[in-house]
Parts: sequence; C-alpha cells; structure tokens
Amino acid sequence: MNTKQLWKNCLVEIEAGISKANFSTWFKNTSIIKEELGIIYIGVPNEFVRDWLMNKYHKLITKTIADAFENMRAVEYIITKIENAAKPEVIRTTETVEKELPLKDLYINPDDNLNPRYHFNSFIVGTFNELAYAASQAIIDSPGTKYNPFFIYGGTGLGKTHMIQAVGNSIKEKYPNKRVHYMTLEKFANDFVNSMQSNKANSFKEKYRKYDLLIIDDIQFIGKMEKIQEELFHTFNTFHENNKQIIFSSDKHPNYIPELADRLKSRFAAGMIVDISEPEYESRLAILKVKLRELNVDLEEELVEYVASSVQGNIRELEGSLNLIVCQYRLKNKPLTLAEVKNLLKNNMKPKKNMAIKEVVKIVSEYYKLEENSVYEKTRKKEIVKARQVVMYLLREDFNVSYPLIGQKLGGKDHTTVIHSCLKIRTDLKNDPQLLQELEQIRIMFK
Amino acid sequence: MKLECSIEKIKNGISQVERITGKNLTLPVLNSILMIASGKSLKLRSTNLSLGIEIEMAAKIEKEGIIAVPGSVLNAIFSNISQNENVNLEEENGNLLIKTKKSQIKIKCTSHEDFPTIPIVTGNSFEMDSKKLIEGIKAVYYSSSVSDIKPEISSVFVYVNQDNLVFVSTDSFRLAEKKIKIKGLEEALHILIPFKNIAEILKVFGEVSGAISVCYNKNQISFSADNVYLTSRVIDGIFPDYRQIIPKDFSTDVVVLKQDLLNALKISNIFSDKFNQVNLKISAKEKVFELSSANNDIGENKTYLDAVISGENIELGFNYKYFLDCFQSVNTDSVSIKFAEGKPIVVSPVSDQSFTYLIMPMNK
Repeated sequence: MNTKQLWKNCLVEIEAGISKANFSTWFKNTSIIKEELGIIYIGVPNEFVRDWLMNKYHKLITKTIADAFENMRAVEYIITKIENAAKPEVIRTTETVEKELPLKDLYINPDDNLNPRYHFNSFIVGTFNELAYAASQAIIDSPGTKYNPFFIYGGTGLGKTHMIQAVGNSIKEKYPNKRVHYMTLEKFANDFVNSMQSNKANSFKEKYRKYDLLIIDDIQFIGKMEKIQEELFHTFNTFHENNKQIIFSSDKHPNYIPELADRLKSRFAAGMIVDISEPEYESRLAILKVKLRELNVDLEEELVEYVASSVQGNIRELEGSLNLIVCQYRLKNKPLTLAEVKNLLKNNMKPKKNMAIKEVVKIVSEYYKLEENSVYEKTRKKEIVKARQVVMYLLREDFNVSYPLIGQKLGGKDHTTVIHSCLKIRTDLKNDPQLLQELEQIRIMFK
Repeated sequence: MKLECSIEKIKNGISQVERITGKNLTLPVLNSILMIASGKSLKLRSTNLSLGIEIEMAAKIEKEGIIAVPGSVLNAIFSNISQNENVNLEEENGNLLIKTKKSQIKIKCTSHEDFPTIPIVTGNSFEMDSKKLIEGIKAVYYSSSVSDIKPEISSVFVYVNQDNLVFVSTDSFRLAEKKIKIKGLEEALHILIPFKNIAEILKVFGEVSGAISVCYNKNQISFSADNVYLTSRVIDGIFPDYRQIIPKDFSTDVVVLKQDLLNALKISNIFSDKFNQVNLKISAKEKVFELSSANNDIGENKTYLDAVISGENIELGFNYKYFLDCFQSVNTDSVSIKFAEGKPIVVSPVSDQSFTYLIMPMNK
C-alpha cells in the first residue's frame, strides 16, 4: 500500500472539513511515516502540532484514514525532522567567505569523526597506491572478513588519511546501520587517560567496542605508550573476534615502530599490510588535473606538466604548489607564463638532496643499531659489512657520490670494493623484500 | 467569565505573554491571548507554535470561563492603565468588558475553540536557580548563528559535563562556552534550544528569582517557576564536537585590562574597513601590544596597550565585532588572550575558568 498516496487522499478530505487557516497551520509538513500492523504513524514537525492533532483532530483523522484504509487499527503521532523545508540560500557574499576563516573542523561529523570531504570520488589511483586501493575496495565489499586488520603505511602526505577516511565514508553509505568511528591514536590515548582519571575505565571499553568499524590514524606514536598498547590490544581482540573491521595507518611498517609489543606486531601482520609509496609522474599529473577541476580553474597543459615534473614527493606539497599558482592566477586574472610559474615554485621546491657522507653513515648505523665508528673500521663482522654496503649503495644511488670518493671516505677502500658492494645490494634487492623495506625506511629518515 | 484581580499583576502577565503570541501566522487565533478563569486563579496563555507560555495569577473568580482576546490590543490597553488598584473583567456576548474605577473598555474577542493547547513536557527533569540559568544563556547566546541554514548552530547547546551545566554557541567564526556548576545532573542531557526562542526565555525568566524546574525530552523543553510555565521546541540535531577545536598549546600569552582593550577596540572600530578588520601586533621583546586599523576613506589609527606578554611575536587580523561581543560575559578587570599560529584566539577572564571564547583570525 502506498502511504504517500493514502495521506494525500486523506488530506484532501480533511481540507474540505476544516478552515483553510487551520489546515495550513496544522497539516502542513505532516506525512505518514509508516504503517505497521494496522497502526498508522503520522509524522509531525513538533510537539505543539502533535498535541493539537491529538486533542482536536484525532477523531477526524482516524475517521478519514479508516474510510480509505480498512485495515487501520489506530493512529499515532511521531515528531520528525522536516527534511526539505524551504531553506534560504547562503546569503553571505563571496568576499567575506574568502576573507574570514571559519573555525576549522567544525563540520566534521561529530558522531563518527569522519570528514565528508574525504571520498573515493576524489581519490586518485595510480601504481603507487593501487594495491592499497584494491584492498580497501575489498573491505568495503565485505567489511570484517577479508583483510582484518587492514594496515596502511607510507610517508607523510601520500593520502593515507584520505584513503582510510574514504573507506569509512563508503562503508557508512553502503551499510547505513554500521557504526563507524575514526580517530587518531592521540585521541584514543587522551580518551584513555581521561577515563583512567575519572575512574571510568569500563565506559571507555564500552565506548569503542560498540562500533562496527574502527579507524585509527597515525598509530606509529604508540611505541612508547605501554598501557595504551595493552588497551589497544584488548580492543583489537574484541573487534577481531566479532568480525568487525579495524583499520590502522602509520608512517612506518609495524616492524619498525619502536618498542611495539610483539603481540601487537603479529596481530597487525595477521591481516593485510600495504604501503603507499610516492606517486610517479603520471599519477602526479592526474592528481593535479583533478584538483584543478575541483578548484574550477583552467591551467595550460604545459604548466601542469611542469608542476608535475618539478614537484616530486608527497601529494600535500604538490597541492600546496598548485594552490600557490592558482592563487597568483586569480590575483592577476590572466594566464601565467612558464617563467612566472618557475619563479613561483623556486622557493617551494625541495633543495636537491645534499647530505654529508657522515650524516648518511650516522643514519644507517643508527638504523641498524651499530656504533657509528664501526662502519669506518676494518672489520668483516657480518652486520657491519651489510651496513657498510648499504651506505655505499645509498651514497651512489641517491646522492651520486663517485665510487673513489665513497671508498676514500669509508676507511680507505678501493673503488672496486665500492662497485662490488653496490652491485651486491642491487642484486640482493631483487630477491630480498626485507632489504627493500629496510632501504625504504632509511630513505624516509633522510627526509 | 467574570473576575476581579490586581492591575499590576495582570499588566505584567500580559506584557510577557503578548511577546510570544504568533505574529504573521496563518492561524489568526494565535495572535490572541487565551484567558482561562477557573478555581481561584486566572491563567494567561499564548503560543507561536515554537514557544508556548502560561502565566497564572491569583484572582477573585465570580464566574469561570475561557476567552481569546487579541494580544496586541490587550497589551496596548494595559500598558497605558496606571492606576494601582483592581480591575474587573467580564465576558458579555463575545466581548470582553474591562472596568476600572476610571475607565470602561469593551474589546471584541475571537473564538477560543481553535486556540491550541501547549505541550506539557514529560521526561527527565531537574531544578536550578533561575539566576544561574540566565547567567549561562546570557554568556553565550550572542555567538549563535542567526541564519537558518544549519539549525544545529543557530541555537544554544546545553549539556552536562562533570557537575557542570555547559552552555555553548557558535556561528562558526567564533564560539562561546560557559560552565555553570550544578551538582547531580544527569550526564545524558544534550539540548539545542533554538536561537530565536532564547530572547524570550531571557526576558521571561530574567525577572523571576528562585528555583526553576527544567523538564526535557528529545523534542521539547520546559521551564517552570512559581507561576510561569514556558515551553520551547528543541532542535533535533547534533552540535559539532567543538572541544577538539579549542587549542591546547599556545605560542603567545597576553593579559590586558579589559577597559583598555575595550576603548582601543572602539577607536579601531571607527577606522575599520567593511570587514570590521582590526590588526593586532604583539612584540614580546619590546612588550608592545598594538591594535591598528585603516580605512581608505576615513584614516587610520594605532593604539598601544599596557600588557603582560609572554611567548613569541605574533601578527594577525580579526573582526573587532566578535571581540567586543564577548566582553558582556567577562566580569573581571583583566582578560587573558592566548594565541597559537593558525589557530583560533582564545579569550577568557583572568582567574575565571568557567568562560571561554574563541575567535578565528582573518586572512591577511
């Protein structure tokens, strides 16, 4: 039975029976919400209307509906939100919008903490993140069963937060009944500390366990928080047992999060760990084009290509550079030339990596937990040899230092030794994913 | 209906009830005040379908009855009767006769059949001092958004947090929060009172002293004192989780005398542009707190204030209106202003934790 049609018919009848003023005051914005076992639920905008309909018009309404719908047993009134009441458009002039900064984050949905801005519609998939994207789509299809937990890691500004929030938003759309919650680890930790202070540890546990999907961002900071690790461990177990999805993001692989308890490490590894690397040229180009479309700006192909090729690395910087150009473009109100763009980006560009050899040695030895000096020593201890080879490889590959100079600086080695080391690492890289990861981690530390 | 009561009482009652009569509504009877004489009292009732009010007063009832009288007419009459004695009211053939010693008035009444009831709120309830309620609302309500686009922020948000009844409102450019200590409240209290109803609530209970009983459910809230019952619709929505936008770490910390700042702002106002922008510059080392504004047509000014400054130098612009607004809630002589790069400015009275005010700086 069509309740909409039924109510429409009834309203026509009711309108005939009462004065126009009464009708438009009391019956405007009413509707039949649902019909259940013969009970008709009528939605009204507020308690004033409900009271009055019940006191004054109940008989009339009941009779009218009963005439049109035989199975009716009773009529009840519920207060509902009016969804599409005519609302005035935004009146504020565009000038003030640009001038005044609103309080940020005010429009984040307070219920689940998700920012509706992050959506897969505006997410760009390239080779650098396609695995993560595919996995996240699988999670949206069947949350909690396929890849649980889902662990994304990658450097700063590569779209981790965008991706995990987009998963949250998509799941919310697809399964409106599921309760999604996004938070940073910091929030989780603060909540925990607060609940300890006010002796409400139990309500803390309850609070998070009622969700169907939990997304925790920036988990890498958990290293030094022992108590929080324990709490997260329990929360995690509850989620996993009940087949509820849980998603983490971090800037490091879980194995490299310092002081992470083994039991958590192994649990992270039980699901799916994917990395997002830096976008390559084509992806950068695609990202820029999507951004331009969002900003509604037309920029010459040549300029876009220049930005894509010159701003490497993370997406956030890419967006920043683009914003700078768009801002200039709007200010001048005429197309920019390539020279102008070059000039604009001059300051924004990362200086060519220039690092002292000593610095590299320091970082690598720190990473492998060795004494810095031991790398320069003449020793054939296995772990030191490996570290030394890594240093040589990185100096050659990333910093273009000549073979003889590398040899000379690392304790007077012959340049052929250096060539051999570089070659060895290069071949090892092909068969040893562990080594590959190590190198990536070290490279992150250079930044 | 026939009764006798004191002019002063009915005059007060009518002036309050009349404000809430529905204006410009499709149902004409809502323009009226409903007078109910029964038992030993006279009740005055009015509603605009968002707010409803009922005021009860003692009267000598000779004959019970109900009539609906146009509110504006009734109010105009009583506001101009100034004798301090009793008045006789009597219904006669659909007219209301008002008799005092020195006047006789006859008003046409409307049919009271169509006058709606006002909802009696059932649900959780608590009691509080009316002064505290007014203090809480007054401290924040001016920050509400006045547009209807987002109803949840064109309202005053009231909730309970650890023995505090917290009042908050924001228009997304600034935010005011006031905490009032009250013990034994239920944690689940979350109410959004529409901004449009706030002024009336302030007006009605501003004059009431003593305890008010507040009753609420998810659609409606009511306030009742000795002889006044007022009920308002509440907004069905979720107020933004504002606590996460209050900055916790600051780079610069300033304390100034409230009156100094107020005067400086008022001068800056003369020269501010159409965005009401005033610029603030703090040099920590030289201990300078400088307010400046410039207007192409009028001129420009700079004011230097004595201030206790700690932290880093900072330079920013803001809308002076937002700043001025909060001083109505600052009762101390000096105010503390805290800054953090790119974050809202936090203003609070020195040594008073209960009031916090955020202002978003302007784009340069």
